[in-house]
Amino acid sequence: MPMNSLIDVGLSHYLALSAALFAIGMLGVLMRRNVIVMMMSIELMLNAVNLTFIAFSRFRDNMDGQAMVFFVMTIAAAEAAVGLALAVTIFKRFREVNIRYFEHLKG
Amino acid sequence: MTLTAQDLLFYILGGLSLASALGVLLMTNPIYSALCLALTMVSLAGLYASMQAWFVAGVQLIVYAGAVMVLFVMVLMLFDLKSEIKAFSRGAVAGFMKLVAVGLMTGAFLAAIYNSADTLLGTSLAAHVDGTVSTKALAQLLFGKYVFAFEAMGVLLLIIAIGAVALSRIEGGTHADE
Repeated sequence: MPMNSLIDVGLSHYLALSAALFAIGMLGVLMRRNVIVMMMSIELMLNAVNLTFIAFSRFRDNMDGQAMVFFVMTIAAAEAAVGLALAVTIFKRFREVNIRYFEHLKG
Repeated sequence: MTLTAQDLLFYILGGLSLASALGVLLMTNPIYSALCLALTMVSLAGLYASMQAWFVAGVQLIVYAGAVMVLFVMVLMLFDLKSEIKAFSRGAVAGFMKLVAVGLMTGAFLAAIYNSADTLLGTSLAAHVDGTVSTKALAQLLFGKYVFAFEAMGVLLLIIAIGAVALSRIEGGTHADE
């Protein structure tokens, strides 16, 4: 990504944006204590990966990337459903959804 | 080297998605985090549309900005959470280490992207992709090459639906023995 092509948006620009979004999502998972906000940050990371898939699909002219995005979206929806069900059961007992209550789960 | 409409769209939508992603990270009230995340999803859908991935952009709006965000907001309203006092993890040293780790990872990503810019040039782009044609090609991929993975996804969703119901009906919650 040479400096003189800063206005000539190409694949590198989309990849850089995706890397930045992924980093923000990772910071969210590491720094926040609320389980729901942590799961939102995971969604953010998955979305950053999706952006990479779409960018490669566009700039390499290959539809397989778009098919992959569907699978990532399905996994993300499944993860959100199970994670939120866990958060609800934690909240029923502790009236809070802090990550420290996940330390000693019993099945 | 002229600034085309797509380049302008990239900077506007990319800036919007970055700003709202930072909002998810920094807002101490979870409901504001959720709304910021919805804005990120919508701006990413715009980016997909600007890259001519019309069907994926629509699915992004319906599934992510629609269904998943409704799930998040509904659970947040169920909890009735207020603005958090201790939203971030404690420890200045640990926080600094986390920042350094994420910074190193992002630096590695950006260096890899920068160094491979010449090999990643890509093919010559069609100025406009017909949405009907590209959606048909996507469907042929999903129901042809990836049909087993597609069916496995259906089974996975069924398992998840049953599992989520079972999980929320456990007697005594997740800490039954205490």
